[in-house]
Amino acid sequence: MRELIEHLTPRYSLGAPVFQRPGLTFVDVKRDKLRALLLDLRDKHGFTHLVLLTAVDWLEEGRFQLTYLLNNRAADQTLGLRLYLDRANPMGDTIHDIWPTAATYQRELREMFGIAFPGSPRVDEEFILEGWTDMPPYRRDFDTLAYSQQTFVERGGRETHEPRATMKHKLYPEG
Amino acid sequence: MGSLRDVLSPFTAWKHVIETPVTLKNPIGREAADRYRGFHQNDTEKCIGCGSCETICQNAAIDMVPVDDPKEGDSGLRPQIDYGRCCWCALCVDVCMTGSLTMSNEYTWVDTDPDAFRFIPGVDEKPWDAIAKGYQRPGERMLSGLTRPEMMEMEPEARIDNFDEIVAGYSREQAVLEADRCVECGLCVATCPVHMDIPDYIAAIREGDYDLGTQILYETNPFSEVCGRVCTHKCETVCAAQYEGEPIAIRWLKRHIIDNVSEERRLEIVGTPQVLPTGRKVAIVGAGPAGLTTAYDLARQGHAVTVYEAQDHAGGMMRYGIPEYRLPYDALDRDIAVIRAQGVEIKTGVRIGSDITLAQLKADNDAVVLGIGLHMGRSTRVPGSDAPGVEAAIDLLRRITAGEEVPVPKKVAVIGGGNVAMDIARSMARLQKQKYGAVGVTVTALEDFAHFLADKEEVTESIEEGIEILDARGPQEMVTFKSGKRKGEVKGLRTWKVISIFDDQGRFAPQYDEADEIVHEAEMVVEAIGQMADVSLLGDELTEALQWNRGRIAVDADGHTSEPWLWAGGDSVHGPDVIHAVADGHKLAASVSAMLAAKAEVAK
Repeated sequence: MRELIEHLTPRYSLGAPVFQRPGLTFVDVKRDKLRALLLDLRDKHGFTHLVLLTAVDWLEEGRFQLTYLLNNRAADQTLGLRLYLDRANPMGDTIHDIWPTAATYQRELREMFGIAFPGSPRVDEEFILEGWTDMPPYRRDFDTLAYSQQTFVERGGRETHEPRATMKHKLYPEG
Repeated sequence: MGSLRDVLSPFTAWKHVIETPVTLKNPIGREAADRYRGFHQNDTEKCIGCGSCETICQNAAIDMVPVDDPKEGDSGLRPQIDYGRCCWCALCVDVCMTGSLTMSNEYTWVDTDPDAFRFIPGVDEKPWDAIAKGYQRPGERMLSGLTRPEMMEMEPEARIDNFDEIVAGYSREQAVLEADRCVECGLCVATCPVHMDIPDYIAAIREGDYDLGTQILYETNPFSEVCGRVCTHKCETVCAAQYEGEPIAIRWLKRHIIDNVSEERRLEIVGTPQVLPTGRKVAIVGAGPAGLTTAYDLARQGHAVTVYEAQDHAGGMMRYGIPEYRLPYDALDRDIAVIRAQGVEIKTGVRIGSDITLAQLKADNDAVVLGIGLHMGRSTRVPGSDAPGVEAAIDLLRRITAGEEVPVPKKVAVIGGGNVAMDIARSMARLQKQKYGAVGVTVTALEDFAHFLADKEEVTESIEEGIEILDARGPQEMVTFKSGKRKGEVKGLRTWKVISIFDDQGRFAPQYDEADEIVHEAEMVVEAIGQMADVSLLGDELTEALQWNRGRIAVDADGHTSEPWLWAGGDSVHGPDVIHAVADGHKLAASVSAMLAAKAEVAK
């Protein structure tokens, strides 16, 4: 794997690799080099399988991370490509023509993170959220609790107690 | 427009009609994966009802409901889960402070009553309660740290020849890290004798709002700078963080707030009494934590308060008992300055009984409060305990603080295993180091190390400073010179090994192994086995008139004695501890104030 990374790094200006464990490596790639790198990996280096495509919301850094996980079955090697997008205007490039399954991942990322993949089939159709009008829910600034309280009816007969107030009431009512 | 294939494919599916289906006919009862997140289990004995599960739940699925009466460190509440809302994310399991909350791998359950899906795990019995499989948090306390930031302390070599403060206090970075470990459950508030709003001031640290922090501290405790250093911190013994890590360093966080507010700013924040003078006068005997807290509260209500103190400086045991390396005098003085700023007059060097009588105070005031502390050392009364060279720890500590010359021999033996024993041992060690360049102190304690009375850090630090601590040794005799020029003076302490301290009925009746005898060479033997109140100031008549309780002045729950004009509190009534004395002070002030208000009503 080290050899392959050494071979690819100057060609695609990759970042410093992280050799996570034998058989699993991560490396950063720039958006404009992604497509060429994916094709090279698929067609010349045996990474024929797209394991998954997912995202991480780095809220404090103002960016999304896309992770393309590729697998070379014959060599039992997995390579994760990490790519960063501006969080304010997140725009990815579709790769459904390289791996058709990518269309589904891209549709999910569009819905859950609000990352656009122009040209990806059915990308703007609802995926699992029906009638969603709020902020994409996997964004870290989405307030799950507030949404849940606003959206779902409270079942009657519920009552909660605050530990500190309960103890005061029972143990030292006068203090 | 469909293709031909779309039209024909439904018919081709018929070829599968005789094959075995791959779907399950009855999925109910099929076991889930070993680590599946199914219905919750709660070990209710382990659960302390801190409510962190409720706080973290992103679906408001959890209510804390009363199951038992609260007791120290346990709110008596337990989580009730509404499975109509639960999304099985397991954040509640991940945050659980005690590890009591887990999930079974059971996920199938049918019931026609929707309310059945709201229950208290561990309390409402369920078939999955005993299932071992399911989700447990991997590792301890995943969501918050296990350990406190390390407190910077002076190294033993640097501190042993002086009385400089040992503990440095937290930096901003350390304090924020520590504040972040607090889940703000508030279980500690009930245990604190003055019920300080601990989670609130910890939150103020996190926000960096030290003015607010100071304001919160002063709502319950005018001795926050003192308590930030020497409090017995009972709060930390019930902290939710202690079950899988170290309890939050509540005492050090309190100190951190005060360390970050200047004395001038503190006076501005606390302010002065905002009421008209009431014209009522209260005399307080003893300028210790109980007396001064009473004075602070009463002065802020507009009463004229005078505190009488026999020593040259205010502070009581905080000044004359606690050594300077644990509580610097200027820290104490800053707390007292705020109290003085309320208009409290502190008359030092005035001894009640000889300079002014209690009868005089009674005649000149609407109420008199006694906060006289425990300033007389108890004696072992073993043979030789009245010989020259035998000292009382509390008396020596006072003389060291007052700057009086105290004898410093090369060899000192201390009798006692409590914090006062450590205080005098470490003080004498410092004086020895200054005078001879070497430490020669031996502490002999009745208790064994497993049942030691002194705080663990006191013992550790004493040993670091070169003090020898011998556990389970009972004093038998102060050995004295039998002849020569020093005849009658102490030359050692003879002890036996302790087998047991209490008898079957729990009464104090030490048993010794007489064969295990040691004579500890010492030209000074210090008795540090407890203190009592000096009640001679009361005079014969009042002593007769007052009700007593086992040698202590008897008081009701508010600190009122059997005499209507006289209140008493603090160490002399409730035993030695600064924070309890502060709590007593508040109680005394409230009681006195209620009486003064009643008097004012009558006067109308």
